[in-house]
Amino acid sequence: MTDLAVRSPVALLRRVTQPARSMGRRVEGRSVYLILTLTAAGLVLLGWFLPWFVGPFTAGTGFSPQDVVSSAPTGFATVLVYVMGASALIVVLSPLAELVARLRKMTLGVRVDQVRAIAGAAGLVAAVLVYVLVGVIREEPAFGVLSSTTITNSAVWLTMYGFGVALFAYGAKGLVLTRPNLAFAIAALPFGALLPLMFHQAPDFLLWAASSLAIYTLLALGLNVVVGFAGLLDLGYAAFFAIGAYACASLSSPIHGIHLPLWVLIFLGAAIAAIFGALLGAPTLRLRGDYLAIVTLGFGEIIPDLATNNVFNLTGGPNGLPGIDQPKIGPVDFGTSPQWYYWSIVAVTLISVLLLRNLQRARVGRAWVALREDEVAAAATGINTTTTKLLAFAIGASVSGLAGAFYGSMLTAISPDAFQFQVSIAVLSIIVLGGIGNITGVILGSFVLTFVIFWALPHAHEWSATFAHNFNVSAVGNINFPQYTYIIYGAALILMMLLRPGGLLPSRARRIELQTGVESESLAAVQGRA
Amino acid sequence: MALLEMASVTKQFGGLTAVSNVSFSVGEREIVSMIGPNGAGKTTAFNCITGLYPVTSGRVLFDGTRVDGQPPHRILRFGIARTFQNIRLFSYMTATDNVMVGAHWWMKERVWDGAFKTPRGRREERDIEQMALELLDALGLGDRAGSYARELPYGLQRRLEIARALATRPRLLLLDEPAAGLNPQEKNELMALIARMRDEGLTIFLIEHDMSVVMGISDRIIVLDHGEKIAEGPPAEVRENKRVIEAYLGSGASQEARTA
Ligand SMILES: Nc1ncnc2c1ncn2[C@@H]1O[C@H](COP(=O)(O)OP(=O)(O)O)[C@@H](O)[C@H]1O
Ligand SMILES: [Mg+2]
Repeated sequence: MTDLAVRSPVALLRRVTQPARSMGRRVEGRSVYLILTLTAAGLVLLGWFLPWFVGPFTAGTGFSPQDVVSSAPTGFATVLVYVMGASALIVVLSPLAELVARLRKMTLGVRVDQVRAIAGAAGLVAAVLVYVLVGVIREEPAFGVLSSTTITNSAVWLTMYGFGVALFAYGAKGLVLTRPNLAFAIAALPFGALLPLMFHQAPDFLLWAASSLAIYTLLALGLNVVVGFAGLLDLGYAAFFAIGAYACASLSSPIHGIHLPLWVLIFLGAAIAAIFGALLGAPTLRLRGDYLAIVTLGFGEIIPDLATNNVFNLTGGPNGLPGIDQPKIGPVDFGTSPQWYYWSIVAVTLISVLLLRNLQRARVGRAWVALREDEVAAAATGINTTTTKLLAFAIGASVSGLAGAFYGSMLTAISPDAFQFQVSIAVLSIIVLGGIGNITGVILGSFVLTFVIFWALPHAHEWSATFAHNFNVSAVGNINFPQYTYIIYGAALILMMLLRPGGLLPSRARRIELQTGVESESLAAVQGRA
Repeated sequence: MALLEMASVTKQFGGLTAVSNVSFSVGEREIVSMIGPNGAGKTTAFNCITGLYPVTSGRVLFDGTRVDGQPPHRILRFGIARTFQNIRLFSYMTATDNVMVGAHWWMKERVWDGAFKTPRGRREERDIEQMALELLDALGLGDRAGSYARELPYGLQRRLEIARALATRPRLLLLDEPAAGLNPQEKNELMALIARMRDEGLTIFLIEHDMSVVMGISDRIIVLDHGEKIAEGPPAEVRENKRVIEAYLGSGASQEARTA
C-alpha cells in the first residue's frame, strides 16, 4: 500500500465503498496487472529464445524447448514440449488479446482468465518436469543428444517464473486489481529471493544484481523519503552514499587497522550518513524548489571532490581506499560468492521497506506529506518544519549509509568516481521513472533502470554480436552500444515522461494530479474560448 | 482579560504600510468580525497574529503571553488556529489525513513508534483517526473521509479547513473569509457552525465580506481601511458609522455595505 490513508482493514472497507476512492484504486491495480501480464509474456518469450539469441548470457551453451524439438525427443518429452509450447503461446499472446479487446471496447470474460490461468499452470508444471527430468534425474535418452551439462538453467528458470507470474496474474486477478501492492510483492519476492539460484552460472549477472540492482534499490528508497515523501528536491544524494561508504571502508580495512564486522558497519554507516544528512540539510532549510536543488547539487559535487583531494587525509585521494574486508562466516565467503551480498542487501532492503512504509503511514509520514503539499499551511497547523525536514534528510541519508556499508565491502575498494553526479541522477531517475512517492513503484523502477543501464546496455554488443553471427547480419554486430548508453537512457526517460508522466506505478496523489491537471487544462481552454 | 490583544501593531512591506498602528482586543468566547475593503490589511493582520509575518513594530499578546516573534508552529501551540482566505489544504492527502495533521503537535507518537508500529503508536494512531472521523462527521464531511482534499467541492474544502484547525485544539479560531464562495444555504450552515463552536467554548475572530454573515453573528466588529482601524463596536453602531460608509463607498465593496 502506498497511500497514506490506508491504515486499517476497516478504513480500507470504508474506502472501497466510496466511488472516488475505489476508482482510484482500480487504476493502480490495472497498472500492476498490466505489468505482470507483460512480464509473464516477456519472460516466457525470453526463456524460449534466450539461448538462441544470446549465447554468452549464461555459462551454459543453451537449452531451450526448441532444442528439444530439433533434436527429436521421443515419448513423454514430446508431450511436455508441446504442452509448454501451447501454454507459452497463450501467455505471450494474452496481453495482445487484451489490447485488441480494449481497442474494440470488448471485455474479456471470466472464461478467458480461466483459460489463461490454466495455461500458466500447465506451462509451469511442464517447465518444472523438464527441469527435473533433464537436470535432476538426467533422463538423457528422452531428450536425445541433450545432456544435463548443456542446460542453460537461467532459461528454464525464467520460463518457470514467467508461467508462475501468468498463473498468478490471471488466476488471482481480483487480488491484483484490489491489492496491487500486495500482488506486486507476491510476484516480485520469489524472483528477488531466487535470483542468485536462477543465475548461478552467470557470476557477472550476480554481481550486477548485488552491486547495482540491490544497492540502487536501497538508494532509491532513501531518496524517495526526501524527494517523494517530503518533496525536497535533492540532486546530491550520492554525497551521503559516499560518506557512508568511506566511513565504513575506514572501519573495516588495514588503513587504520580497524576491522569491524559488516553487520556492525551497516548500523554505523546508517548513523553516520544520517548525521551528515541532518548537517548538510540544515543550511538548506529555508530554501525551496530550485534553490534547494542547486545547493544539494553543490554538496553532491563537493563531497567527492573532498575525497579526491584527500582533504582530511582520510580518503586516500583519487585512488580511494583499497583492501576493504569481505566477511567470511564459516564456509560462506562473501568475496567469492556475491550472492551472499545480494541476499544480505535484499534482507536489509526488505526491512527498510517495512520501516519506511510504517513511517509513511505514521505521524511523521503525514507531516512529510503536509510539508510537501503546503509548507505554510503545515507550519500554521503546528508542524515544526525545521525538525520535520531534518528528519527527512537524516532518514533518507541513513538508507544510503546502509548501501554504502555493503558497497565498499562488495567491491573491496572505493574511489571518488563511484559517487559522482551521475549516481545522484540515476537514483533520481529511478524514483521518477518508477513513480515518485510510491515505494512499490520505486522498487520496480530500480529494477528496470539498473537492468537497462548497468546490465543490458553494457552487454548489448555481445548480444548483437551473437545475433549477427547466428543470423549472418554483420551490421547489427558492429553497433557500439556502450557509446549510445546515455542516448538510449535519455530517450527512454523522455518517452516515459511523455507516455506515463506519473512513472510506471504512479502514487495515487500523482495520478489524480495528472488526471485533474488534464481536466483543468481543458477547462481553461474552454474558458479561454468563452 | 482579553484572550487576544493587538497593541499598536504595524506591518510594513518595504514602503507600504499594510497594517498601521492597530490596537484591539478579542475577549474569551466572543465572536468578533474584521471588515474592510480589499487590501485594507485584514489578512496581513491575521498573518501577524499567526506568525507567518514578523510584525514591524508593536506587540501581539495571547492570554497575556507575548507571541509575536515566535515561529508559526509555536504560536499554534498556544492555541491559535486559522483558516486561509485562499484555501490551503494538503491537496493530496485524504480528508481524514488533513484532520490528523491537525493533531500532529499534541500526539505522543515518536518516530520509532511509527517505524516499529509499537502498541503505543498504533493505539494512538487508531484514536486519532477515530477523532478525525468524528470531527469530519460533526462537520458533515463524514462520507468524504477518504477523498483527497482537492477532490472535494469548494464548500466542503472550506469546512475541512475548519475541521483541521479544530483538531489542533485551539482556544482562538481565526477564519479568513469563511463564507467566500458559499451559496446561501452553506452560509447559513456556516453561521450555525460558528455559533456552535462558540457555545463549546471557542473564541472566533473572522474576516468577512458578506454583511449578512457579519451582522448576523458578530458580537463586535472591527473595521480596517488602508491599514488603519477606523471603527470598532457592535454591529448596529458600526453600520451607522460615517467613516465606515465612506470607506466602503470609496471602494468596490460599496454594494455589499449598502445592501447590508
Ligand atoms: N507578502 C506581501 N508582500 C508585499 N505586500 C503585501 C504582502 N501581503 C500583503 N501585501 C499588501 O498589503 C496590503 C494588504 O493586503 P491584505 O492584508 O491581503 O488585504 P485584505 O484586507 O484584503 O486581506 C495590500 O496592499 C497587499 O498588496
Ligand atoms: Mg484578505
